[in-house]
Amino acid sequence: MKPLLPILLSTFLTGLSSPLLAQEPLAITLKTLTAQMKFDQAELLVAPGAKIRLTFENPDDMPHNVVFCQPGTNVEELVMKMLEKPEEAMKRNFLPDDPRVWLKSNLLNPQEKQVIEFTAPEKPGSYPYVCSFPGHAMSMKGILKVLGQGPTLTNLKFALYHGAWTKLPDFSQLTPHREGSVPDNLIQLNFDDYKNQYGLVFTGSLKVPNSDEYTFYTAGDDGVRLIIDDEVVLNDDGIHPAKIKEKKKKLKAGDHTVRVEYFQAQGQSELYVGWKSDRFDTTSLSKWTPANWKTPTAQKKDEFIGLPLDPKETPMIYRNFIAGAGNRSIGVGFPGGLNFAWSAETMNLALTWRGAFMDAARHWKNRGGGHQPPAGFDVLNPTNLVPPIAALDSGNATWPTFTADEPIEGYKWKGYTLDANGVPSFRYQWRGVEVEDKITASGDFKNPESKLVRNLKLNGTIPEKTFVILARNATFQPIQGGFFVKGEKINLPSGNFENQFSIQVEGATVIGNLLLVPARKEIQVSYSWPTAYNAHSHQSAK
Amino acid sequence: MKAHRLLLPVLLASISSLSHAQTQQQAPDPAEAEYYKITTFPTPPGTALEVSSVELMPNGKIAVGTRRGEVWIASNAQKSTAQGIWNATTSTFEPDLAAPKESQIQYQRFAEGQHEVLGLAWKDDSLYTTNRYELLKLKDEKGTGHANRFETVCDKWGVSGDYHEYSFGSRPDKNGDFWILCCLTGSFSSKTPFRGWALRVKPDGTMVPTCSGVRSPGGVGFDADGEVYYTDNQGPWHGACTLQHLVPGSFQGHPGGNEWYKLAPNMGPRPEDPMDKSRMVTERAKIKELVPPAVYMVYGPGKIGNSSTAIICDQSEGKFGPFQKQIFIPDQSHSNVSRVYLETVNGVKQGVVFPFLKGLKSGPIGARMGTDGKFFVGGSDRGWGAKGGHPFAFERIEWTGKVPFEIHEMHAKPDGFEFTFTQPVDPVSASDPKSYTAREFTYIYQEKYGSPEVDDVLPKIESIEVAKDHKSVRIKLDTLTKGHIHEFHLDGVRSKDGKPILHPTAYYTLNEIPSK
Repeated sequence: MKPLLPILLSTFLTGLSSPLLAQEPLAITLKTLTAQMKFDQAELLVAPGAKIRLTFENPDDMPHNVVFCQPGTNVEELVMKMLEKPEEAMKRNFLPDDPRVWLKSNLLNPQEKQVIEFTAPEKPGSYPYVCSFPGHAMSMKGILKVLGQGPTLTNLKFALYHGAWTKLPDFSQLTPHREGSVPDNLIQLNFDDYKNQYGLVFTGSLKVPNSDEYTFYTAGDDGVRLIIDDEVVLNDDGIHPAKIKEKKKKLKAGDHTVRVEYFQAQGQSELYVGWKSDRFDTTSLSKWTPANWKTPTAQKKDEFIGLPLDPKETPMIYRNFIAGAGNRSIGVGFPGGLNFAWSAETMNLALTWRGAFMDAARHWKNRGGGHQPPAGFDVLNPTNLVPPIAALDSGNATWPTFTADEPIEGYKWKGYTLDANGVPSFRYQWRGVEVEDKITASGDFKNPESKLVRNLKLNGTIPEKTFVILARNATFQPIQGGFFVKGEKINLPSGNFENQFSIQVEGATVIGNLLLVPARKEIQVSYSWPTAYNAHSHQSAK
Repeated sequence: MKAHRLLLPVLLASISSLSHAQTQQQAPDPAEAEYYKITTFPTPPGTALEVSSVELMPNGKIAVGTRRGEVWIASNAQKSTAQGIWNATTSTFEPDLAAPKESQIQYQRFAEGQHEVLGLAWKDDSLYTTNRYELLKLKDEKGTGHANRFETVCDKWGVSGDYHEYSFGSRPDKNGDFWILCCLTGSFSSKTPFRGWALRVKPDGTMVPTCSGVRSPGGVGFDADGEVYYTDNQGPWHGACTLQHLVPGSFQGHPGGNEWYKLAPNMGPRPEDPMDKSRMVTERAKIKELVPPAVYMVYGPGKIGNSSTAIICDQSEGKFGPFQKQIFIPDQSHSNVSRVYLETVNGVKQGVVFPFLKGLKSGPIGARMGTDGKFFVGGSDRGWGAKGGHPFAFERIEWTGKVPFEIHEMHAKPDGFEFTFTQPVDPVSASDPKSYTAREFTYIYQEKYGSPEVDDVLPKIESIEVAKDHKSVRIKLDTLTKGHIHEFHLDGVRSKDGKPILHPTAYYTLNEIPSK
């Protein structure tokens, strides 16, 4: 059989019971979240008396510390008490001098970190931790859980069968080849009788300490079934490598009957059964535990949960900091998965892309700073942040440039209007010419014919030798109705993009590395991607 | 995003906001609830109504702007009595479906996709919004209930992508101008034009740089005379949060944005920078443009706040209770509202702040009160945390009709203070010096983040005189200190019928000592 699949793990300890690992301190990293007044983990899990190497990092822009307290400590009250003598507290860098505190970090400045080695308390329990810097305790706290091991099986018996199965047989209809007691009361496979084509049924008693909800785990190579009090809790039948399965179950305090059925076809054979509760850590009921396996903590890192913006029926507008589109960008996502960002700094189309529109988590889950790249793929930036219109002296093809926060000369941003379908028309003035720039999506992003169609309307007296720029810093290959453009590659935090596309337009000319069209009352341009989406879809995967 | 660097040791004035250590979610105070009632509205499904601005619309509708860039129009918000019920799964305040329909608030989305709506104003049949870098006029020309025109009125100030660069917009002032308060880039600097400034936008869209020295505003508003104020937050050059009077041409105290004097010839030459580790009273004697905070919103547990936001003047002529023309200021961190009474002494605004009401459900940011005395307030806890314990909320505060026994006003006198009360006092307790404790202190005026309370003076009460009508008390102190906050606790004062003062604490910022 195949080797054990790679399995989930957390940053925490592995194999508590292993005497080898007990020598090596368990490495835990606790960080502050930037601009959220929170630690990145609200729960840390350690074994009683475990040696711990805690790396405490402060990437936030405020000072923070971490202070570990005895179980039952009201950390907010603790900080308040410290602040009853504010001068003293300040001298101690707001680290409480309180008998309820058993471990504390230094007060870390922004971007500092500290490594603290300590021995976890011997007594299982919930040990609160908190940042005791004034004003932080309200949200910046968590629990260090010291969990011991739970009960294991008693009175464990086994029955060994043989047969060539692809699924668990009905063992009640079969006669065991051999039966007996398991002296160490741990579920195990090494009965040495057979390597292949056998089955095992274990029965034992499990003393449940409290009426509570418990999580049970199995991993079998091959089929495994866990039955408690005649009820099937987990059923991972068939031939397969060992993979953790889990199921929650409420149990009353007292003795319960546990039955584990297992079969091995051929090749590798493994069997794991374990359980855990809020009061004890994951406890193996079998001799074997999957390597590097540890129950993942339920704690989600909120910072990393995305907030995808998904235009459903009408185009969606997202004015925010979009990477590659300047500081005053207006993202527009169409329901078919075609998207663009327009810049109210350059008055020009800044980016287009296919697939998902935007992830708003960066801006909507903390204080709103920073530039977020498009969520989709095939990002294009035809003109890479320059103004759209210029009057060029003859023979001079130097296009005006743009630097952030120097308003571009000759332009006045006037806002946008939405049509009945919610499609925006961007409006600005250039040297007295009123300009309207409207971009609509045609087709679905999965369709190779899909394109963005742009209509520019110029109303007013257009000076001589005025051009509209469609692309720059690129090579241009004439194609039917337009050009195939190979632009400079785009590097964004979300990936690197080829920046190759087709432009369909009437009357465009190439001057140097610019693709220009003489300014006129109405200009229609369409942008399309050269390949079907799936040819490129892997490219954006980071 | 550039993180601003904070220097250690950070001083104790940034003290924790915890006055109720036991609970993270703050419940209304029953003693306060007898006089002021809070209704927490349901919020629209499928969105986080992180209220950042509120405006009154025609026909009793309420416009609500959010940090996520939406604008919602709420109907029936004046009359709605049905409390929203927090549902942690959907992360919204859900309507109580058992409540009758006529008691329910209704919402319609008017706009979305805006870059953080920190200003809303109804003017000339249009809704004006302020986002991080623009003042916009939104119009619903087709009558669909949704804006179709987003017209830029002014975009002449900078933005660089730093989270700190918020922009707060006012309603039109008495001249029809909008005020834009631009947060600095981070705490210390201004990377792009007019960060750290108060700007005015004329009806034709022209922008007039009007005051420098702004740090991190939380709101902008007017007093009953139409004078313009903003709230600033504790940080560099701010020992505590403050209420600041926006006198055109003034420097408001943080020099981080002063390089933009070069783009503001109307403002005259750049003023001298304040000296570090000084006092406001010392520096304002040297720097003529420096206007001292009208009121320090005293920092610390059980004090006024950690994050002052909106400025709401009661112009309801009694419909919000006995505090006509006074100013109410919510606090995002404490989820409370404080009350300010202002006066003008030697041409400078100064006054007193009292605790007023606790128990809002999130961190209030945007607020508005109508002439009917209905006080709408909403906010979010995002980024800084709020005692209210919910990620966002939209609420209404209203007066129950019962007059609380409170200090009504506090007036500076040449040798002390006069307190007036909402109800007659018991003359025996009110004339007993043991009923009062007083302390004077100030903050270090410094570049470092925050300040401890320093330069303590413990004044002696020399005399107490209760007015014949028992509605006011005149206290003479042996010393008044110019520039200090004069803190009073009137814990022993009782009303005629023996009640203690609901909020017996007062912090008076004595910028000027009157000569009579």
